[in-house]
Amino acid sequence: MSNVPVAALIDGVMQTLREAVLPDVKTRFARGQVFAVLDVLNNLRDRIAPSPELMQAEIDSATMALTQVIAALHLPAAQPVHAALAAAPVLPLADRVAALRAALVVALDATAAHPDARAPVLAHLSAQAMRDVMVLKPSLLQEISKG
Amino acid sequence: MADDILASRLERFLAARLPGTVRVTALERSTEGFSQETFAFDAELTHPDGRREARRWIAKREPVAGLLEPYDLGPEFRVLHALSDDPLPSPPTPWFTTDPADLDRPFYVMERIDGEVPIPAPGDDGTGPFSDAERETLGPDIVHALVQLHAIDWRARDLAFLGVPSAGKGIAARELERWEKRIVDSGLDVAPPLAEALRWLRANLPSTDEITLVHGDYRLGNFLVRDGRLTGILDWEMVHLGDPLEDVAWCSSSLWRAGTPMASGLMTPEEFAARYAASSGRTADADRLRFYEVLTIVKMIAIMLTGIRAFRDGRTTDLRMAIFDHQLPFLYLLLGMSRGWLA
Repeated sequence: MSNVPVAALIDGVMQTLREAVLPDVKTRFARGQVFAVLDVLNNLRDRIAPSPELMQAEIDSATMALTQVIAALHLPAAQPVHAALAAAPVLPLADRVAALRAALVVALDATAAHPDARAPVLAHLSAQAMRDVMVLKPSLLQEISKG
Repeated sequence: MADDILASRLERFLAARLPGTVRVTALERSTEGFSQETFAFDAELTHPDGRREARRWIAKREPVAGLLEPYDLGPEFRVLHALSDDPLPSPPTPWFTTDPADLDRPFYVMERIDGEVPIPAPGDDGTGPFSDAERETLGPDIVHALVQLHAIDWRARDLAFLGVPSAGKGIAARELERWEKRIVDSGLDVAPPLAEALRWLRANLPSTDEITLVHGDYRLGNFLVRDGRLTGILDWEMVHLGDPLEDVAWCSSSLWRAGTPMASGLMTPEEFAARYAASSGRTADADRLRFYEVLTIVKMIAIMLTGIRAFRDGRTTDLRMAIFDHQLPFLYLLLGMSRGWLA
């Protein structure tokens, strides 16, 4: 789940194309292609949504981890984790993901003195880190830096 | 501001500070720095006696918004200016202005040092950016320059204005506090891997009485290199007073190993720390290095969150800020490796 909403990202791409790229594109054909890209992006921005499959995978993993933490902790230590999990909305999925991430932070606090109970959270973080990285494409940072 | 206007304003700025006349040519905005705006330019000086001189300078200007906002070029300039006559290969930096009549926003001018900036990315053949021969000469140069940097008498150079931290745990505590504040100020959610790391850092503040000048961004990507030798140390934006091992850990971080297992693509982190210790006479304390290893990744996340926030709020249109959103998962992965929870 991204910090920049897809629509804002596409708006930024279009602005960059218009203001930083287009003025330096000299041939008529190439300029036409840039305008075509702008047209595509402009019509795409309101039709893209984050993948529900990815969000569901994170929700399932986080929910399981939090449930295991609650089972491993004794009351009252488990109470804040239980409350955070119970407060997470079922829908929309993006809100549930955000709430479960916040609940995981609560679980990290609650398990500070109980390293064994923390294990499910760390196992989830590990699996989630891999899931998040797997969907990323190779970085173009070198090309971006070199221009 | 169009390049021709920028050039004429730079000419006016330089002419007010130099005898004779100045003509600015070959002005180009650099793509390498992601934070401050960097303009490289040549200048042709015509002295009052008619003698001509070619000079090469860099202008660094505060961006409207970005990775290290709120910006203040003043401290960085004061440090670079103070070190302009030091043997350390930092760029001599003569002028700074906050007058908006010059280039709208504060900027300073420094001399352009010969050399190229190797980028911290794997080479085309999957190896690092340096040949064995380059590593053999550049590695010791990097260690030596860092030892030199940490040996600078910051009191004698009047650099206490950077803020002297309390000795003991106060040095690490101040640095952690500074970066936690940036994370909070971004207003973005603290992801669980980041929360875990912050908790660990708070509980494991190392103690030292060593307070030195700390570059803060000493690493591959900020070194100027020519023929396998270090010619310049760039990007002093994060300079401060603190624990010298912070720079050692930063330079060794997995963030800039360029696809190799080596600190800044040069030598193993263990060798880097051992060489630094031998050359400086300091102890490469494992607990301090470990703390700053984790803090390095946390700092990078804080920087990215700041840039993402600026983009999201529309305070910058620089799309490079937005791509950090896609880099964060890599950083969380590195945190997992560093903290030991990644399976």
